[in-house]
Amino acid sequence: MMDETGKRKQRTVQLVVALVLFVAAIYAATFIKLPVWLPALQ
Amino acid sequence: MTEAIAAVAHDRHGHPPAGIMRWLTTTNHKDLGILYMSFGGIMFFIGGAFIMAVRAELLLPGLQLLSPGMYNQLFTLHALIMVFGAIMPFATGLNNYLIPLMIGAPDMALPRVNNWGFWILPFAAVLLLIPFFLQFSGIGSGASGLGWVMHNTSLDLQSGIGIDFAIFTIHLLGISSLTGAINVVVTVLNMRAPGMALMKMPLFVWAWLITAFMLILVIPVFSAAATMLLTDRHFGTHFFDAANGGDPILLQHLIWFFGHPEVYIVLLPAWGLIPHILATFSRKPVYGYRAQVYALWAICFLSFIVWSHHMLTSGLPLAAEVYFMYSTMAISVPTSVLVFCWLGAIWRGAMTFETPMLFALGFVAHFGMGALTGMILPDVAANAQYHNSYVIVSHFHYTFFGGGIFGMMAAVYYWLPKFTGRMFDEKLGRLHFWLTVIFFNVTFIPQWFAGLDGMPRHIADFALRFSAMNLISSVGAFLLGLSQLLLVYIVVKCVRGGPKATGQVWEGAQGLEFTLPSPPPYHTFETPPEVK
Repeated sequence: MMDETGKRKQRTVQLVVALVLFVAAIYAATFIKLPVWLPALQ
Repeated sequence: MTEAIAAVAHDRHGHPPAGIMRWLTTTNHKDLGILYMSFGGIMFFIGGAFIMAVRAELLLPGLQLLSPGMYNQLFTLHALIMVFGAIMPFATGLNNYLIPLMIGAPDMALPRVNNWGFWILPFAAVLLLIPFFLQFSGIGSGASGLGWVMHNTSLDLQSGIGIDFAIFTIHLLGISSLTGAINVVVTVLNMRAPGMALMKMPLFVWAWLITAFMLILVIPVFSAAATMLLTDRHFGTHFFDAANGGDPILLQHLIWFFGHPEVYIVLLPAWGLIPHILATFSRKPVYGYRAQVYALWAICFLSFIVWSHHMLTSGLPLAAEVYFMYSTMAISVPTSVLVFCWLGAIWRGAMTFETPMLFALGFVAHFGMGALTGMILPDVAANAQYHNSYVIVSHFHYTFFGGGIFGMMAAVYYWLPKFTGRMFDEKLGRLHFWLTVIFFNVTFIPQWFAGLDGMPRHIADFALRFSAMNLISSVGAFLLGLSQLLLVYIVVKCVRGGPKATGQVWEGAQGLEFTLPSPPPYHTFETPPEVK
């Protein structure tokens, strides 16, 4: 059984990994140039 | 061996290394908070010095001191430094120092990342400034002159290393901001003391949690746009190059998708701390807590869907213009909720007017003027007149300085006794407030009139009919800059000595940080407090 400190460390790692992946995804998605393809913005 | 390491660790516990090594290697949230705030303070004066040169050039019509190219570099550096080098690092310093104290955590969740995030900043600042100084040795053509949103002049107008250095600076600052933002999210969601439910958190913590989410969403877009600009300039891509099938308006979309939330990234930390200060000096609890939390989230959401009101003259379809006009105006609803909650906090309160309260009230008044003028700018019909005029310059200084800087000043005076354990000179603090209010308005009110009369921004020379307004504005700017030196004197005097501050500091102060002595010990809340 994991104690409270262990659980907290695990949650921290999970959250950091999720946020870093989210940042990478947004960075990559910007190169799709969405505003160029959206008819409403043309 | 393990015992020896444990013994050393125990020996260092509560005793940071002496001298420069303490500041280079520290992972303590209070040390890093002080480093961030000191860095922000230094950059505030460097950015201020650049704009003094700009206002000196604008003192009289004609070109006296600066070439137009040098003028562009100076206002660009002023803007980049003030937004990314001064206000944001200072607000980050406040969150570093205060969030663990406010939620009963022993430190930030990622202390080593915290150290790394700070020490990126001085290198980024050097990178930004190097091309400016190199030009005086005949190397390169100077710093970036594109403005803080990187598209105020055609891409062809400036070549050379300046923009490349600015692009690399943006990437470094982005990494620093993202590490800080991730740290805030993880700390707030994972490190709260028992009983510190989300809806019991101080509004400053809420505001920073929301700010961190905004940073995480928009900084990658800004960084990617800067990367695309870099590859367009050096690696043969054509993202923004119309001559080769690219779209220059795309750069504006990407930059403003970042740029508009960035306004709230600068303002939200101040919106979070002002209710605490108003409540303290009105001897009342924070007014409309839940309403303010929901309003902050609403502003966060709306800030992502309104960016093109900065581009209403770029030839958008009418339907898009109308959408961006109404969505932008909709931000006034949650913003009004905040303003009425601030007014509710002081209504019939037993108010006293110490320096932090004066700056907090100054914040409400000046930010209010910035917000109200923000209501006329997205009007599609009116925007054609206001766009790129001095109306814009005055408007965003009422929000950034009247909101952001006044908020930070209020925070400095409110928590300085907590940080130093000493009270500051109250008379000098009040003098600093009144000088700031007077000269801030002397600087920026004339810019409304010059702008309404048609004076464009980003110009080193101007038509003769704008002379009087520019003369008044420049004199006001010089005196505003000089009066900020008083703040340095007050802070230094407070750090060196003064009457001892109690743990409570202010009679009406509430919050976990005020249950600790002033200054707080090096390590705090190693045993989490029980929040009821």
